[in-house]
Amino acid sequence: MSEIRPRDLDEADDRTLAVRAAEGDVRAFEAIVRRYGRLMRVYARRILNSNADVDDVVQEAFVQAWSKLPELADPASVKTWLMRIVGNRSIDRIRRRREHADIDAVAEYAAPESQSPHAKAQAASLDEALSRALSELPEDQRRCWVLREIAGYSYIDIGAELELPVSTVRGLIARARKNLIREMEGWR
Amino acid sequence: MNDDRDDLDGHTIEELSDYLDADRKPYDPSIENSPGCRIALDALERLRSASLRLLEAEASEEPEPDENWIGGILANIGREARAGRRIPIEHPDPAADLGITEGSVRGLVRAAADTVDGLIVGRTALEGDVTVPGEPITVALEATAYFGHPIPATTELLREAVRSALALHTDLLIAAVDVTVVDVHHAPPRPPAGDDAEEER
Repeated sequence: MSEIRPRDLDEADDRTLAVRAAEGDVRAFEAIVRRYGRLMRVYARRILNSNADVDDVVQEAFVQAWSKLPELADPASVKTWLMRIVGNRSIDRIRRRREHADIDAVAEYAAPESQSPHAKAQAASLDEALSRALSELPEDQRRCWVLREIAGYSYIDIGAELELPVSTVRGLIARARKNLIREMEGWR
Repeated sequence: MNDDRDDLDGHTIEELSDYLDADRKPYDPSIENSPGCRIALDALERLRSASLRLLEAEASEEPEPDENWIGGILANIGREARAGRRIPIEHPDPAADLGITEGSVRGLVRAAADTVDGLIVGRTALEGDVTVPGEPITVALEATAYFGHPIPATTELLREAVRSALALHTDLLIAAVDVTVVDVHHAPPRPPAGDDAEEER
């Protein structure tokens, strides 16, 4: 019952975990992976618009995060920092896809459980309305919107990442917003 | 439903998006005084606040990651990178060259610290030249204390635990164990342990 077991790190705050992981504590890093693994996966899936590479991309992102953790200036912000890394790796993956294949061939979004027909019928919340509206956006609009609103990229950064002129990015995001607002109007 | 241009008093959604991205600065009266624009700005703001919430909500429905997937990450991280300095360990045979890495000493410090209730240690630093035998070393720790545990008593237990672990496993001459409490949190919920915790006081 009361045997000495390792401290349950799952309960430690983000800063403590990030500091410990930066100093080489693998258990603390594992706690970070468990805490944010799911968030990073849904985030990558949103950017990739596909289930296909989520496993790999997020794994790579975490491995990269481990080696870069000692450079993280504010360990308390490890969550947004991780999102940045996952965002970058996802975009890298999209670029590579583009070099190898027609982008439409892989743009197949696997709807999460919440978007199953059953859940769809009882969708009442703004979040679900947004979720559905988002997955119905045209590919380029959705990707720009996710980077802008969820990843917090500037228009210039998005343009650089996706190799698009800033004016195009601005137009895509505005159109995405317009479409999303229209879709969400019933849920005001 | 309705096309923008007609009720935005000559503005477009693009302009309003830019305006919002600039935190509504500089103040533009032709936007702020237009009821149509205000409605559109409100909608854009609601959209923005819904976006991160959306991701969090999706994450809560996402299945727990596969253990193999987590294992794949942990198997690929470069653990040697955090080794730090090499700390010599004395041996009666002068030909023997023993050492321990700074990283593993920090691990030792953390493991000792984790046996102490009422706080959790974050940063651990060995101050002083650990590569020179007999050099006085200060262990500097940062900890988050848990609410309701007396900090002086708890940090004293921490010092003692760290000192004895280092004495047992290393030759380091520990001049001091400095503890800085950087934060106080509510204690994490623990499995019900009866009233035993009270008796320890």
